[in-house]
Amino acid sequence: MATVDSETSGVADRAATVALPETERDRERRRIAVLAVPFLVLAAFGAFVPLAEMLRMSTSTSSFAIEGFTLSAYRELFASILAFVPVVGEAVFPETDPVYGSVFWNSLWFGAITTVVSVALGVGIAHALEKYDLPYEGTLVTLISFPISLPGIVAAFMMIVLFGTTGLLSNAFAFLIGVDPNAVALTGQPAGSPLAVLGLFFGYLYSMIPRATFLLRGTYAEVNTDAEEAARSLGASPWETFRYVTLPQIRPGIVGALILTFRTALAIFGTVLVLKALSVVTFRFDQEIQVGFDLPMASALAAVFFAFTLAFTFLGLRYTSAEVAET
Amino acid sequence: MTRSPSQNGPDDTPVDYDTDDTPVDYDTDDTPVGHDTDDDSLRTDGAGGAGGTAETSRAVTGTGGVPAPSAGPLDRLSAAVGRRLLTLIVGLTVLFLIGPVLLTFGASFFENWTGLAPSGSLTLTHWKQALGLTETVGASRGLGTWIVGVPFTGLAVRVPASIAFSMLLALGGVFVNLLVGVPIAYAVTRYDFYGRDLLNTVAVLPIVPGIVLGIAFLRTYPNLPSAIALVIGYSLLKAPYMVLAVQSSFESMDLRQLEESARSLGASWPRTFLSVILPNAKRGIVSGSIICWTLAAAEFNFSYIVYSRGPKPFSLFLFENISNNPFQRAAAAVSIYFLLVAAVTALLRATGERGFSTGGVR
Repeated sequence: MATVDSETSGVADRAATVALPETERDRERRRIAVLAVPFLVLAAFGAFVPLAEMLRMSTSTSSFAIEGFTLSAYRELFASILAFVPVVGEAVFPETDPVYGSVFWNSLWFGAITTVVSVALGVGIAHALEKYDLPYEGTLVTLISFPISLPGIVAAFMMIVLFGTTGLLSNAFAFLIGVDPNAVALTGQPAGSPLAVLGLFFGYLYSMIPRATFLLRGTYAEVNTDAEEAARSLGASPWETFRYVTLPQIRPGIVGALILTFRTALAIFGTVLVLKALSVVTFRFDQEIQVGFDLPMASALAAVFFAFTLAFTFLGLRYTSAEVAET
Repeated sequence: MTRSPSQNGPDDTPVDYDTDDTPVDYDTDDTPVGHDTDDDSLRTDGAGGAGGTAETSRAVTGTGGVPAPSAGPLDRLSAAVGRRLLTLIVGLTVLFLIGPVLLTFGASFFENWTGLAPSGSLTLTHWKQALGLTETVGASRGLGTWIVGVPFTGLAVRVPASIAFSMLLALGGVFVNLLVGVPIAYAVTRYDFYGRDLLNTVAVLPIVPGIVLGIAFLRTYPNLPSAIALVIGYSLLKAPYMVLAVQSSFESMDLRQLEESARSLGASWPRTFLSVILPNAKRGIVSGSIICWTLAAAEFNFSYIVYSRGPKPFSLFLFENISNNPFQRAAAAVSIYFLLVAAVTALLRATGERGFSTGGVR
């Protein structure tokens, strides 16, 4: 009991010194508190309270108010995810609709492929921008970073411009091989068809390449060029120099870029909403809310999705060699 | 200094080791010991992940001197086309990213676009319709307008209301961001305290995806007007950009010295902060505000879920145009946003930033 008392009085003392500081050190504490309070208030009312309410809502028995307590949304969600697992799922949950399993799976594989491609392209672009003396480099950087400011719906529209039924590239391609543009358009195709997914793939790349490039440019800025020059002058080819000198230095940056770009991929929503090509998790939110108003289910899905992205980002950045370069 | 691309023309192979098997006469007698150790350390680095290939071990351990120039297929290929390939990738990427933007902008001025190229005469109709400056038939997808009388002239001018409203909302988000982001950036840059790293991470990483935050807002504040919910959401979602931009300004200043000089000259701490520190960080604050404003104006995921009534945010107007309207009208609507971003990018470059690259990702 005594320790508890002294602890509480310690906290009270500290609060008192923050409010009425006597020493310079106490005043500094008060300043830090004053500087941090606005952010903490916004984070509390803008993020923590709503997220707590969302958790509570996911266990509600009603879609319109927080009532009762049930885990049925989670039960349905996890049963559906397990039912998606091949062989085992069908045996254990033959009756369950594996729809949530499939949306998570779609988010994961599609996000992984687009991430790997954008980071690979990002490495090439960052390499060229950093190592070669390209003309108008500043303009190139501005142009490549321009799409970062565009929302996903605009990225989707860009794909319609390029690959839609009236799109430039689809029409050019159709003209070259002599078919109807409708047959080769990548947008406006039925959801899940290979052409539609390819269109969405380009839509994701449109948003992700600039972000990956931005991250990798920060990494490249820190590469030790002396070692590269030494390698070259000792007879290493450009490829060997990259493979054995540059790559080991940028590897942590690449891992960091993979993690953050994958995070971006998971959160893309507007592009999917316009192109309607693949049912990923974010697209499922729209159906839960706009089609059948099932707020507990949407909340449960959001909670699981959020927990996953949070765990993935933090564990990834913490337990791999990942480094995110500050630029 | 053999490897300095700037001195070669773009078409040259950068160095001439691999043109032929003419052994470059590096192995002069004075075996450079320094180079040797250099190389060893490099090799261990390289082998760290995947283990060195036979090729390199040959190349490095061969003579104990300078390794022979390597001539595997990849090496020849990289020397011959590596630079051209990467330059081509950069070119194609820029085309892929910027080409459709220019196409959209161009198409919005044409009467119609079928097949490969736009056709018909130039027209401003799509722009007028998108801006809501002319009446459209049926459910108007144009921006709502306010009719504002111009004083002393008796003329009435249509002002695109939705766009004005949306810009105001984004401005509200920036205002909250300034109140919240600048102090926190100063606290984590200037002071060292318990939990600083965690606070820094939370302030700099956009932890909650917009769509999740939107769903969380639905039940939490059911009676909050959409406008206020949007401002809170914008400020929270875009705070990292403000914090990063301001932080980079703070980091370039000697904060402790500035603060202590001002204090020793008799300024109180609040006065020091407001009239010494902040003016010095002006550049970061201005560019952070511009970036936040543009990103908030186009925020879609959160707005789409949360918006329920009242004037529409700009991003929802874009969405309706893209999903429901004829191609050229949508192109005009999207072009409005392009113009905005182009203007903002020019502004940013005037403040010394390169486009949106400040904190662009997180």
